[in-house]
Amino acid sequence: MFRRILIANRGEIAMRLIRCMKEMGIESVLAYSSEDADSLPVQMATDAVCIGPAPASESYLNQAALVEAAKAASCDAVHPGYGFLSENADFAALVHENGMVFIGPDPEAIRLMGDKEKARELMKRNGIPTVPGSDGLVDTAEEAVRVADSLGYPVLVKASAGGGGRGMRRAASRDEVIAAYQDARAEAQAAFGDSSVYLEKEIVHPHHIEFQILADRYGSIVQLGERDCSMQRRRQKMIEEAPANFLTPKLRAKMAKAAIAAAKASGYVSAGTVEFVVDQGGNFFFIEMNTRIQVEHCVTEMETGIDLVREQIRIADGMKLSIRQSDIHPSGHTIEVRINAEDPQQDFAPSPGNISFVHFPCGGGVRIESAVYSGSRVSPFYDSMIAKLIVHASGRQEAIHKMRAALEELTIEGVRTNIDYLYLMMFQRDYLLGQFDTSFIEENTEKILRWEKACRKKAGLTG
Amino acid sequence: MGENPFARKRAVLLAYKEQRVRGRKYAHVGLKLRRLMDPGSVTELWQDLETQDPLQFPGYREKLEDNQQRTGARDALMCVKGTIDSNPVVCCELSASFLMGSMGSVVGEKIARAAEEADQDKCPLIIISASGGARMQEGMYALFQMEKTAASIRRFQRHGGLFISILTDPTMGGVSASFASLGDLILAEPDALIGFAGPRVIAQTIHQKLPKGFQKAQFQLEHGFADRIAEPEKMREEVLQLLRFHVKGEKTLLRKDLPDDECIQQAPDLPDMVKNHGQGEGHRGQLSAYERVRLVRSEDRPKITDYIDALFTDFTELCGDRCGTEDPAILCGLAFFGSQPVTVIGHRKGKNLRDSLRFNFGMPGPGGYRKALRLMREAEKFGRPVITFIDTPGAYPGKEAEENGISSAIAENLAAMAELRVPILSIVTGEGSSGGALGIGAGDRILMLENAVYSVLSPEGFASILWKDSKRAAEASEIMQMTAPELLDHGLIDGIIEEPEGGIQKEPGFCYRRMKEAIETFLSDLYGADADELTERRYQKYRSFEGALRPVCKAAGGPVLKPEESFNATLQKQESDI
Repeated sequence: MFRRILIANRGEIAMRLIRCMKEMGIESVLAYSSEDADSLPVQMATDAVCIGPAPASESYLNQAALVEAAKAASCDAVHPGYGFLSENADFAALVHENGMVFIGPDPEAIRLMGDKEKARELMKRNGIPTVPGSDGLVDTAEEAVRVADSLGYPVLVKASAGGGGRGMRRAASRDEVIAAYQDARAEAQAAFGDSSVYLEKEIVHPHHIEFQILADRYGSIVQLGERDCSMQRRRQKMIEEAPANFLTPKLRAKMAKAAIAAAKASGYVSAGTVEFVVDQGGNFFFIEMNTRIQVEHCVTEMETGIDLVREQIRIADGMKLSIRQSDIHPSGHTIEVRINAEDPQQDFAPSPGNISFVHFPCGGGVRIESAVYSGSRVSPFYDSMIAKLIVHASGRQEAIHKMRAALEELTIEGVRTNIDYLYLMMFQRDYLLGQFDTSFIEENTEKILRWEKACRKKAGLTG
Repeated sequence: MGENPFARKRAVLLAYKEQRVRGRKYAHVGLKLRRLMDPGSVTELWQDLETQDPLQFPGYREKLEDNQQRTGARDALMCVKGTIDSNPVVCCELSASFLMGSMGSVVGEKIARAAEEADQDKCPLIIISASGGARMQEGMYALFQMEKTAASIRRFQRHGGLFISILTDPTMGGVSASFASLGDLILAEPDALIGFAGPRVIAQTIHQKLPKGFQKAQFQLEHGFADRIAEPEKMREEVLQLLRFHVKGEKTLLRKDLPDDECIQQAPDLPDMVKNHGQGEGHRGQLSAYERVRLVRSEDRPKITDYIDALFTDFTELCGDRCGTEDPAILCGLAFFGSQPVTVIGHRKGKNLRDSLRFNFGMPGPGGYRKALRLMREAEKFGRPVITFIDTPGAYPGKEAEENGISSAIAENLAAMAELRVPILSIVTGEGSSGGALGIGAGDRILMLENAVYSVLSPEGFASILWKDSKRAAEASEIMQMTAPELLDHGLIDGIIEEPEGGIQKEPGFCYRRMKEAIETFLSDLYGADADELTERRYQKYRSFEGALRPVCKAAGGPVLKPEESFNATLQKQESDI
């Protein structure tokens, strides 16, 4: 078993990893930037090493500094968390070259799944439905028009190296294809140093459903059920839940089978997520595979009672899965909301600053993942997510009621947050009825913000 | 900061809660509708329809969203398809909880669609209204919804559709002045404020002093603009009852066997009398004409409500002429004769002085005749036979009656009855005097109770015109030839229903049985008859000129009727078959 693991991350996921390692009897070494010197994980980790100044490029993305720190601290593995270097095949390879274990899949798998176009090809070959699109990369604007015409509009031009909506453009009609093609290429070049793009048919107002999988080095692959991540704003997930009530048992079984087939096809090892979109007619399409532990992994943990980080570390250490498919029984309903230091009234602009007061909700079925404390600072340099609130209850309505109660209790002063926005979301009729897809947040946000603003005004608060 | 760290949080949460409580309090869109419908049968229609805010009216969108969020509805009207006791209906509820139930484009559009949907499905349309009127924020778009809804409702009605309008508190302005007032039947909840201009507007603009209860449901009923008032809890029963009179299931079969009620059981076995009675001498109990007049005027002679109780079931009174009057001197309603729905119309007299005063001694004004006409038209639309009971000293001869066009009202009825496309049976039960009697009496078949009288004028009026002395009424009676046997002799009526010695009040059960038989004969002869033929026969019946010559000849363009086909001949044949 690993003795010491370097955590190449910060914030709530660093805390999550530290806790898990403490439980497993593994020492944690936190690599941090000078900006985070006062952060909670620095205090809680067995050891902490400053690896650079505030900008992520010089610290959390600084591969050489991280590897040096790990070696200096005699770590036998590196956990990248999510974001930063978690899906960077070069970094995974570098860690291996330096005689340590990268906690995640092999560099090849990361590289394969990181190339969206290649991943699509692979899935297609293995009989997993993918969103209709171009056969491989599209090299000229003329070809883009031809392919778009054959797919039918709207189409998306996507950067092969892209993700999170970057390097992606939409064309609603033929006239828009050339501009979309050129813009996507330019953005992809600027963001990823790779201008290759491909075309896909846009599935209008789909559900975003992902399956959690675990795979060990001995060919065992299990799936731990789905998460419904349709509640997104500009492709940023806001609320995740499981199970996805709109899936029929038959469709769920079919998708689970496809998820396992996808992992198998890529020879995947470690924890991972297979993402699908499901259209209004119940047709599902593979879109991508995430080769990291995800922000919303806690939803599946609450549903199944299985510690995904623990399994991920065990797999990396060459151990067999501690569970079989028949051991996995998701139960009840889980909802997670992402608490961000941002101002919904200012187009969700980040709201960094000092947290003067924080109180987290307590009680059965309520889980908080966070690294903030009263007096801690929210840095403008990094992601604005400061906490995750997860509730688990016997059914969806019960979970929503628990979430309301928890959000009423959750108090964060000093920075603006989306707590009230999420709270009001828990009263939206269509959300309560489970009638939502990826367009829901966009369609309902304005209304909620108006409601929030009016009530804040009434309560004598400004802004 | 000195304050408690939770203080701000608490203040905001309270504001949210206040907003939600406010929402729950008003979140009633569709509540009344659900009480009406069979649980589980309801499918909502067009629930996503939302206004585009055509005028980009300042603050309107915010207000809409506030209301949407409070009520969970997109606009003020909920429209559903479903069933009431398994009868398919299209039903709408306009709810005051959403922007005061005001009618903008969405409400108007959904009403129009609902009418078209009901038309297509050939099922009744029910609209429950509560509204302040047209939606100010949509300006002229809102105003034109009045015309749009009125037009679509009327088209639906022209195609034979039944529209029941239910008025709840409040139904005002552009809603009461459009579709809500166009119901074939209009029900109102007690104490609901119903009107065009609100009382405050009236008080502030023309400074008129308004009476107590002004524009309340009762006020509207008394002024002829509502058929019935029904408690919200009883609305489902009420609507169901009305639907039963209108829903065309399998063609209702007339019950051949008569109901066995006690009074009939007790009736002595007297010889059959409904036949060529009084043709010449020899029939018993000769009363003088004036004795008959006095007999039928006595308070203990059965009144219309007694006949209704004895002959029909489920009588449901309908009120109002829709022109400003509810005249209690004429009673109208729907009832079942056996299993056959019929429309019943008749003069109403009281059994004591107080009631007599209330019913104006059975002397209807113009409103009474207009109400009768409205309900005859309703019967015609839904193919229901009409049975009228005549017992009046005449139309009300007062000032108000003249001011409101009593002549015109009676004339319209005579003309309309000639063309009514359903069978009409008229039974003179007491005194039938003048145009006031004929105004609801021009039936396909006219029957009289044996002691009833029917004349061109009351004997008092006759005496005063001819001899300038109304005290000579008795003398007049004897020469007016107003008794049933005399009129049958002249061929002016079609049959006599015999009364026991001393009048019907001595043995009412016997008479009721004869009346039932007569109604049954009438229905089996004429219900379901071809409407063209029916109206042509009726035309010919009154086209005749003195008994000996009738029937006369065909009307220009009408079908030629052979004498043996004439209605009178048919009746004679029927009678000889008995």
